[in-house]
Amino acid sequence: MGHLDKEYIKKLAHQIMIDVNDQEIEELQTDFAHLLSQMQLLQEVDTTGVEPMVYPFEQEVCYLREDHVDHCITQEEALKNVKEVCLGHVKLPKVVK
Amino acid sequence: MNLETLRKQDVRKRCEEALMKAKEYQSVLNAVVTFYDIEEQLQNLEHVASDAPLYGVPVVLKDNINTKGVRTTASSVMLDQYVPVYDAHVVEKLKQAGAIIIAKASMDELGMGGTNLNAHTGKVNNPWDVQRISGGSSGGSAVLVASDVVALAIGTDTGDSIRKPAAFNGVVGIKPTYGRISRYGVIPYASSLDHVGYLTAQVKDAALALEVLAGRDDRDATSSYEAVGKYASNINSDMKGKKIAILGNVMDEIQNEQVKQNFDELMKKLEARGAIVERVHFDDQLMHLLLSVYYIIANAEATANHSNLDGIRFGLREDGDTLEEIMMNSRTKGFSSNVRKRFIIGSYALYTENQDKIYKKAQKVRRLIVEELKRALETYDAVIACAAPDVAPTQKECMNGKLKKIQQVADNHMVLGNFSGYPSMTVPTGYIDGLPIGVNITTKPFDEQTLFDIGVAIEEETGIQNQCAEVKV
Repeated sequence: MGHLDKEYIKKLAHQIMIDVNDQEIEELQTDFAHLLSQMQLLQEVDTTGVEPMVYPFEQEVCYLREDHVDHCITQEEALKNVKEVCLGHVKLPKVVK
Repeated sequence: MNLETLRKQDVRKRCEEALMKAKEYQSVLNAVVTFYDIEEQLQNLEHVASDAPLYGVPVVLKDNINTKGVRTTASSVMLDQYVPVYDAHVVEKLKQAGAIIIAKASMDELGMGGTNLNAHTGKVNNPWDVQRISGGSSGGSAVLVASDVVALAIGTDTGDSIRKPAAFNGVVGIKPTYGRISRYGVIPYASSLDHVGYLTAQVKDAALALEVLAGRDDRDATSSYEAVGKYASNINSDMKGKKIAILGNVMDEIQNEQVKQNFDELMKKLEARGAIVERVHFDDQLMHLLLSVYYIIANAEATANHSNLDGIRFGLREDGDTLEEIMMNSRTKGFSSNVRKRFIIGSYALYTENQDKIYKKAQKVRRLIVEELKRALETYDAVIACAAPDVAPTQKECMNGKLKKIQQVADNHMVLGNFSGYPSMTVPTGYIDGLPIGVNITTKPFDEQTLFDIGVAIEEETGIQNQCAEVKV
C-alpha cells in the first residue's frame, strides 16, 4: 500500500458522486498516509479463523413481517421535500438521450 | 435540574421558562439549531395522562432525530431545509410520555466528529468555559443539560458521541445496549455502531428515561425483544461484593495528575463501600488499534448510508444538466470538506480490491477487541476508567491534537461500547479549576441496572448531582 496520487483520489471521490479541490486532495493524501501506516499495524494482528464482526450481537431480531400495509405516507408527503415536482413526480433532467 | 424538582412546577411555566432560557443562552452557547413553538404540544397534553412519566417535561433532541413538520438538519448544509414527514420512534415515545420538545440541538455534521466544531451553525460553547469545546457529536444536547435548560436531552453515540460531551460538560450521558432503544427515524452515521441515548443531570433520571425510551420496535431491524426493566425503582447503590475492573490501558496513559487523583480517590471510596476493585489490562496491540478500526468501519458505513443524500428526493439540490451533475453538485456543496474526506476514506475501504485487507480486516480485529471486554465482564460486573484524559480542550488545543497521539487509548477507549454494543455511561466525578471531569462505566449487555446502581453510588460519594453551569449572558 503506497502513496495515493491525485487522479486516484479524484476517482474515489467521483465514484461516490462528490468532488474535491486540490487542497482537499493534499489533505487527503496526508490522511491516507497516516491511515495506510495504521493499516500495516492492523495487518500485523493475527486474525486467522476470526469471523468479521458485522453487528454487535448475532442473535436474530429481524423476522419477515406480515404483509399488511402500515406506516404509509401520502404522495403529497413523499414529494414535500422535493425541489422540482411535475404532475406528482420528481422532475429530473432527461436521462435517455 | 432534575425531573422530581421540575414536576413541582407548573407545566406551562416550566416549559416556557426552559424555552426562554434556551433562547436567552443561544448567543453565548450556540447550542440550538431550531427552536420549537411549544403551544400545540402544550395543548395536546390534554390527551396525555397527567401521571405519564414525562408529563409536561421540556426536552431537547439532537438534530439528527426526525421530527414531523420540524426542520431536521443533522447540522449539515445538505439537510438545511429538510422537514421530515414522520416522527422517529423516540419522538413518538417521548410524546406518549408527555414530554414537550423545546428545541433541536446542534451536533457535528451527520454525527461525524467529536468536537461539535464541525456543525454548519458553528462551534457549540462549553457552559463551564465558553472558550472550550462542548465535545461532540451530541454537543448541543450535553450543553443544554449542563446549563440547566432541560433535565433530559436525546443524543446519539457512534464512537463516544454522548459520553465524551457528558464528561466535558459535567452531566450524565448514557449509551444503552445496542438494540435497547430503536433507531427508527434517526439519521444514521454507521449502522453497526450507532446507538440512541441521552443526557441527564442525575443518574436516577437516566434510569427513568430508559424506561420511557427502551423497547422493541419492528421498524428497526436491530431492535431487541429484551424486557424493559423498572430501572429507577430498582436502583440499589449497595456496592458490597460488586466486582469492578479498572481498565489499566486507559489509566496508564493519563498524564493529568488531578484526573488520576480524582479517579483513585473514587475507587478507594467504592472499595470502602464493599466493592472489589481490581485492575485489568487488555491486549495493548489491540487497544492501540481502537481508533483505526473505528475510523475504517465508521467511514465505510457512513459512505454507504449517506448515498441516499443525493439532492433528488430531499435535501439540497444544486443545478446540473444531467442527473449525475445534479447529484455531484448537490453532494459537493451539501457536505463539508471534512465529511467529504471521510466519505472518500470510506469509499477506499469499500473498494472491492481493498475490502478484505482493510474493511473485513477491521471487522475481524473489532471482534478480537470485543473479546477482551467480554472476557473481563465474565469476571467483573463492570469495567471503569476515566471518560477522558483531561478536561474539555479549547478550540485551539483541539485543532493541535498533540496530546491525542500520546493518550490515544485514553482518548478513544469509549468506542469499546460501540464495538461491543454493551451499555456504557459517563458520570461526573469532580472539577479541575472549575471544569468537569468524569468516569465511564461499562457493563454486560442489557445490564443497564448495574450501570445505574454504580452511577448512584458514585453520586453518593462525590455529592455531584444536578450541578449545572452558571451561564453569563
